[in-house]
Amino acid sequence: MEKFFIIFWAAMILGSIAWYGFLVFYVGIKAGRDIRQMIKTLKAGQPGPDRPPV
Amino acid sequence: MTLTPIDWLIIIVYLAGCMVAGIWMRRYVRGVEDFAVAGREMNVNLGIASLAATELGLVTVMYTAQLGFEKGLAGASIGVLMAAAFYLVGRTGFIIKPLRTAGVMTIPELFEKRFGVRVRWLAGLFVVLGGLLNMGIFLRLGGEFLVWSTGMPPSWLEWVMTILLGLVLLYTSLGGMLSVLVTDYLQFLVMGVGIVVTSVIVLIHVGGFDLVTSLQAAWAGSAGMKLDAHPFNPFHGSSFGWGYLLWMLVLQIAAATTWQTVISRVLAAKDAATAQRMYRRTAFYFVGRFLLPGLWGAAAFVYFAQLGGLPEGTTSLTAMPHYLGVILPVGFIGLVIAAMLAAEMSTDSGYLLTWATVIYNDLVSPCLKKPLSPKGRLLLTRLLVLSIGVFLLFYGLWYELPGNAWDYIAVTGNIYLASVFTLLVGGLYWPRATARGAYAALIMGAIGPITFLLIGKTYAIPPEVAGFSAFALAALGMIFGSLLTATKPSRT
Repeated sequence: MEKFFIIFWAAMILGSIAWYGFLVFYVGIKAGRDIRQMIKTLKAGQPGPDRPPV
Repeated sequence: MTLTPIDWLIIIVYLAGCMVAGIWMRRYVRGVEDFAVAGREMNVNLGIASLAATELGLVTVMYTAQLGFEKGLAGASIGVLMAAAFYLVGRTGFIIKPLRTAGVMTIPELFEKRFGVRVRWLAGLFVVLGGLLNMGIFLRLGGEFLVWSTGMPPSWLEWVMTILLGLVLLYTSLGGMLSVLVTDYLQFLVMGVGIVVTSVIVLIHVGGFDLVTSLQAAWAGSAGMKLDAHPFNPFHGSSFGWGYLLWMLVLQIAAATTWQTVISRVLAAKDAATAQRMYRRTAFYFVGRFLLPGLWGAAAFVYFAQLGGLPEGTTSLTAMPHYLGVILPVGFIGLVIAAMLAAEMSTDSGYLLTWATVIYNDLVSPCLKKPLSPKGRLLLTRLLVLSIGVFLLFYGLWYELPGNAWDYIAVTGNIYLASVFTLLVGGLYWPRATARGAYAALIMGAIGPITFLLIGKTYAIPPEVAGFSAFALAALGMIFGSLLTATKPSRT
């Protein structure tokens, strides 16, 4: 039983390191695009350049 | 101090970048909707980055490392349960789908539609009470990490954390959720790199096989320090055991569907499908959230066991940062400190905004006879963010933890998780639920956790007993309160 848990945790550690590394690149690029899109949408909804932020 | 000029440069560049990005987003805030839920313009990948950054704070790193130090790798079992809970909720849309579809800004707002304004107010009070107590120890634990990992004089702790909180308050109170999302993104990147690199360095330092054999030796009592819990098997009686793990599973499902800082990302998502995708894709992240800092904690245990014991003044909570301060190469520690500051800042900003929004939306707003102007509403929400910051500074300095840090986090969260989760399930899925049932669930659900906080240290109440009793009492309150007051539908 102990062997099973040791293999399980080893797989989880390696999987987590790989997943975190992947997410930093993948989500890093995609979320950067999401921010640009969000700003574009928010800009389009702005009433005018002379309107000060609240 | 172990920091070199390169370390300082990395930290300063990171902090400056965050501040500029955070303050820049202020220009896009047009009203409370933009301030609280980013105009509901958040897409799935930004949601993943924000959710991951908010839910992995420096306080998380500290308490998960403490679990790793005290319980070995089995301490990360809670992360596995958390991942399972997020995946299940993302797959089924349980609670989050109807919640997002309802178009509310906070959970208590939904209760007004189902149970009336008084239930909304009382639920808001419990949400804020549980949330603020939960957040109360964030600064202290974050400061402890910095003191032990950098060799900073302990007398600096209060000042450093005050300055850090001041920076977070500045951009959060100006840009609200828009600033939080953009800074969360930067913090997610810095934090991700820091966590991966630190984990690799720790693994190389301790050695994978040596870690296993050393933990086995410590469990058998033949190492420099004795490990009291089985280091790999969480079901073993000396580790968490079945009862505690079962409570954790229930707690994690409740947290995934009820915890307001998580739900605020659901409510900021474009639609329910985006929210569900965000949950499914973030799920495995939560394994690492517990396991990687847990690995650092377990490695710290092995390191100090080989030295014959913990140095004077070092505890199970501060052993991990002490260990990292020793093993991280000079010049690299700046990146790790920046990563941990990122973790602290993203969590603080997300939590400050969330609780301020609930106070305004569910406690203040229902009491006003005449609604405030949009400008007035924004000003009030910003003042609330600042007030919570002041509360955090003072509460964090004097409160003494009744047990380990994770138990404190879980039990304070339980104050509202048990009762609000019961209200959500009852309100969304049980047509016979009534307002009386909701009152009974709210009050009875809070009894267990509050009792633990007040007398848990004196009478040694196990946290799983306090936690489980909260869920059971809340459910009983909802069922009996509703059945006793239900009116029979009239025949037509």
